[in-house]
Amino acid sequence: MSRPMARPRTRSFLRAGALLALVLLATACGMVPPEPHTTEAKEVFWLYNVILVMGGIVFVAVEGFIVYSVLRYRRRDDRLPTQIHGNNLVELIWTAIPTVIVLILFVLSTLTLNSVSQASTHPGVTIEVEGKQWSWVFHYLDDDGDPSNDVIVQGTALDGAVMAVPVGEPVKLILISNDVIHSFYVPAFLVKRDVVPLPEAKKPNELEFTVTEKGTYSGQCAEFCGDLHARMTFSVQAMARPDFDAWTAAIRAGETPAPSVPAGGGVLKVSAKNTAFDTKALEAAAGQPFKIEFTNDDSFDHNVGIWNGSEELFRGEIFSGPATKTYDVSGLPAGDYTFVCDVHPAMTGTLTVK
Amino acid sequence: MTVQVPTSMSADTTTHTALAHREAGMPTPLVGMLLFIASEVMFFGGLFASYFNARAVHIGEWGPPAGAPELEIFPIALPITIILVASSFTMQFGVWAIRRGDQRAMRNWTLLTLVLGVTFLIGQIYDYTQLGFGISDGAFGTVFYTLTGFHGAHVFGGAVGLTILAARASQGQFSKQNHVAVEAISIYWHFVDVVWIALFSTLYFLR
Amino acid sequence: MATTALTPTSETYRRSWVIEWLTTVDHKKIGILYIVNSFAFFFAAGILALLVRSELAVPGLQFLDERTYNQAFTMHGTIMIFLFVVPVLSGFANYIVPLQIGAPDMAFPRINALSFWFLPLGGLLIFSGYLFGGAAAEGWTLYTPLSGGKFSTGVGTDLWLIGLLLVGTASILGSINFIATIFKMRAPGMTLFRMPILVWTVLVTATLILLATPVLAAGMIALFIDRNYGGSFFDPNTGGNPILWQHLFWFFGHPEVYIVILPAMGVVSEILPVFTRRPLFGYRAFVHATIAIGLLSFSVWAHHMFTTGQVFMPFFSFMTALIAVPTGVKMFNWLATLWRGSIILATPMLFALGFLSMFLIGGISGVMLSAPPIDFHLQDTYFVVAHLHYVFFGGSVFGVFAATYYWFPKMTGRRLNEPLGKVHFWMHFIGFNLAFFPQHILGIQGMPRRVADYSPDAGWTLLNLMSTAGAVLIAASVLPFLVNVVATFINGERVGDDPWEGNTLEWATSSPPPAHNFDKLPPIRSERPVFDLRHRHDAERVSVAKVEDQ
Ligand code: HEA
Ligand code: HEA
Ligand code: CUA
Ligand SMILES: [Cu+2]
Repeated sequence: MSRPMARPRTRSFLRAGALLALVLLATACGMVPPEPHTTEAKEVFWLYNVILVMGGIVFVAVEGFIVYSVLRYRRRDDRLPTQIHGNNLVELIWTAIPTVIVLILFVLSTLTLNSVSQASTHPGVTIEVEGKQWSWVFHYLDDDGDPSNDVIVQGTALDGAVMAVPVGEPVKLILISNDVIHSFYVPAFLVKRDVVPLPEAKKPNELEFTVTEKGTYSGQCAEFCGDLHARMTFSVQAMARPDFDAWTAAIRAGETPAPSVPAGGGVLKVSAKNTAFDTKALEAAAGQPFKIEFTNDDSFDHNVGIWNGSEELFRGEIFSGPATKTYDVSGLPAGDYTFVCDVHPAMTGTLTVK
Repeated sequence: MTVQVPTSMSADTTTHTALAHREAGMPTPLVGMLLFIASEVMFFGGLFASYFNARAVHIGEWGPPAGAPELEIFPIALPITIILVASSFTMQFGVWAIRRGDQRAMRNWTLLTLVLGVTFLIGQIYDYTQLGFGISDGAFGTVFYTLTGFHGAHVFGGAVGLTILAARASQGQFSKQNHVAVEAISIYWHFVDVVWIALFSTLYFLR
Repeated sequence: MATTALTPTSETYRRSWVIEWLTTVDHKKIGILYIVNSFAFFFAAGILALLVRSELAVPGLQFLDERTYNQAFTMHGTIMIFLFVVPVLSGFANYIVPLQIGAPDMAFPRINALSFWFLPLGGLLIFSGYLFGGAAAEGWTLYTPLSGGKFSTGVGTDLWLIGLLLVGTASILGSINFIATIFKMRAPGMTLFRMPILVWTVLVTATLILLATPVLAAGMIALFIDRNYGGSFFDPNTGGNPILWQHLFWFFGHPEVYIVILPAMGVVSEILPVFTRRPLFGYRAFVHATIAIGLLSFSVWAHHMFTTGQVFMPFFSFMTALIAVPTGVKMFNWLATLWRGSIILATPMLFALGFLSMFLIGGISGVMLSAPPIDFHLQDTYFVVAHLHYVFFGGSVFGVFAATYYWFPKMTGRRLNEPLGKVHFWMHFIGFNLAFFPQHILGIQGMPRRVADYSPDAGWTLLNLMSTAGAVLIAASVLPFLVNVVATFINGERVGDDPWEGNTLEWATSSPPPAHNFDKLPPIRSERPVFDLRHRHDAERVSVAKVEDQ
């Protein structure tokens, strides 16, 4: 069964190897993270690249050894190669090498960890970030003790909230949630932190960073949090201090560059009976979260879902009646939508948002 | 783990049948039981971890929810604890009896153990009705019923095992040489007892 | 080469084959049942993966809505792990371990059958969520509070829990059986340090299962109580702590990943020596490394929780990176086995080499993730998805295919067709890298995992398209494999009892072995008794570097 290897085989092997090397080279560029835009991210970027190079060296060495051995030591005849059972010295050496690499890596990463998780005593702004299914709320905390004029930015699953921050000042986030776990993630900052609904006894997570360049950075929830997890986006706008002050002042004055949140939207009432809704038309205010009080009078499943064309923006829980449930819908931009029972697509009506 | 394995067999033996597997050391069913108990230890370990976690994040006094009476070791908890501990001794007397080859005595000890075990269970169920809080009444209620409930289920399982032992003993199936099942069930029973002692001290004393 | 196998003489007792297979307590039949059942679940979970990939090929929602997508990846991950890799490796272990230690069967044959039959039952329960209003859709990790009663109302999640409790119970029973078998059923002369490496890895794996799975069971029961009886283990509003679930889950979950890699490493360590005609270099070091990995695996679980901000990172980071040391020892032992060997590239060997290279990549990306500052960026992105497929698929699944090609002749007496096997390997290998390598880059550029859709402006489209193409290629590669298995089974080349010139005891009996496995055993004086038997006459030509006793 053991035929000596044929020469052309080697050549095609080499050619495949060269191709592979090319692909690897091309991808190596992709293996570098996005350009870092906070002071912390710059340190992480450096650490990442050091570790990537270390990993790359290990990869090339080990993979090269495998490929070389396979090419070089193919079976030629029935003779038995020398039977080597082990060698304590080399085994010791190759236990030591990874140990050293691991120690270096650990020291570097712990130093970076300590440095990026240092909290400043006087952050430029402190923002309470609330993650909820499926939108973000940014609540700028100030010291005036009067919550009525606080700057609060509320996003929706369609329209991510914008967080403005001043460039060059430490920004402190307090991350809270009252439903499920989310995660605040801005790729350009090379950082994320989970937004956890913790029991009272625990302090909420905090995250601090100092943005170094003006610009808009997109962010997204990175912890799976249910149906519309993929739509839980936001963006961070870093601007000079004066612009930032103007931005907050504008929101305070009600000239909303981003929608602000009034207390509690309206409650819409709908009911379903004999596989039909009792109304064909609903109305809600633009950009404001609202509630739908849905009564199912049938003994089987219905719900209310809100669709924009072929895209479902909100899906109410499906349940069978007779029962009533209240859905919380995050704000929608102005426009006409359809509301549908997802179990019975023929049950529809129009939702007007203005 | 106390599994003992003979490893110093002569290197030169050549057997002509594979069926000659090792009879030396601990009987295989006992090994199986010990391994099973190792997994049970981890299971209860997980539940205990949940208990201590709930305690650690609890604000205010740790104990039954407001409105319910304090946990008392009288009149139920301490007496049934004593009963369960006693049943470990009666079980062991049964094991010693069969090691001597006295099958009748072993059956009687087993039956006594069974009675004690069932008494424990009845006591525990009665206690549940007196506590004044339920599994859905806050973190304490949840961990209390989950831990004691799973322990109770294990006692019940042990009681079933004891019943089988007693029945088999009545038919004369055990002997001085041949009583692995008795040893196995006794180990399990002792384990269940130890878990209860840990539970009892955690729930009632460690406050 | 003269045949060295000691052919048994006795005949097997026959019954109707359906009844025979349904009621069998023979470890070999049960092993095959495990393997066939697992592959069925592999195809099911693979089809779900194809759904996931086709949805992600381009931006926008084309085939699935969000909820269906979420169910698809949840079921994909769950089924792949719990009903494919773990059981398929148990299946091979079931078949091979008793043979390799010269035992007639497992220690508890009936419990063995029971633990198999729990599997299809549990698997169907998990899947049956689709029939009752939707399968679980919280990811295979089922994080609370999302998986709690308030946010996941369907019964799909309850069915998931019940199904997995069954599967978990089965694997605990199975592991008790393996440990008892290995300790109590070894043939005379088969000392612990003469056991084949596969047996060692199965021993350590079984210990991990025995100690880790019950903790998950406790967690799942707690979650079930929360969902159905108003418990408050994980609900922060009533005094619970959602992070507790993550601790319980990962205390199990991390050992779990070694549960699926160690036996695959065992398989590779069986195959490399045979196809290089060398002993495994550093047998003892390899055993110690396996034990070290087993021990370390219990102290690293919180590396999945760096971003929760609720764990002490330096400790877990250090322990995690430390696992690279024993794993590195193994890697270097394999390399040294190749070095100056007499290598023949038969299909099992190709898959074993595929394992070495792909697991290497997955291992290195794992070490990168173990640095918390880097994990802050990469956690829950496609980089982690790439890592987990490089170790699961590039590692364990390549190991599974290697095992399939290697032991198929033992199980059936027929060898799988080599050219078709090579086609399978190359399609698989290329498809795999095309599907999963780009995911590293996607992750580094910031694409989160578990999203049904992404923005066309994000610049992720091309890489996603490549990944989907790779997935299709993997799926296509299954075709030659299936054709090969079926055709060989019906009318394949008969190759005798020991076609590869194996080293270990399973090659000393007939193919397939008789019900009681052996009539005669060769003397066992090293970890390669059949090799010793074959070369007993040319011992002078063989320079034995070290003969260790015990
Ligand atoms: C078979 C499965 C398997 C295996 C073997 C591993 C092996 C390793 N894994 Fe992986 N891992 C998973 C399966 C696996 N993992 C899964 C499924 C997840 C995601 C779960 C989820 O969230 O859904 C995950 C996630 C995961 C994370 C969390 C990521 C996150 O969510 O943020 C981390 C972080 O530390 C990690 C680390 C490691 C490390 C350090 C190893 C090490 O054991 C690797 C060691 C191997 C080598 C390093 C290669 C060989 C060694 C050498 C050649 C020596 C020289 C090398 C060096 C010194 C670098 N893994
Ligand atoms: C052993 C484990 C394993 C294996 C083998 C695979 C195999 C594959 N995985 Fe899987 N995957 C996981 C374990 C695994 N995965 C886990 C744990 C997760 C995380 C889940 C979570 O986030 O909760 C995950 C998540 C995951 C994602 C991320 C989803 C997300 O985060 O949104 C993706 C996306 O590309 C993916 C793709 C694939 C693909 C394309 C394959 C392919 O390689 C599959 C190849 C197989 C086939 C294609 C089957 C072929 C069959 C046929 C063609 C039909 C023949 C049929 C008959 C004869 C009846 N997987
Ligand atoms: Cu919020 Cu994902
Ligand atoms: Cu892990």
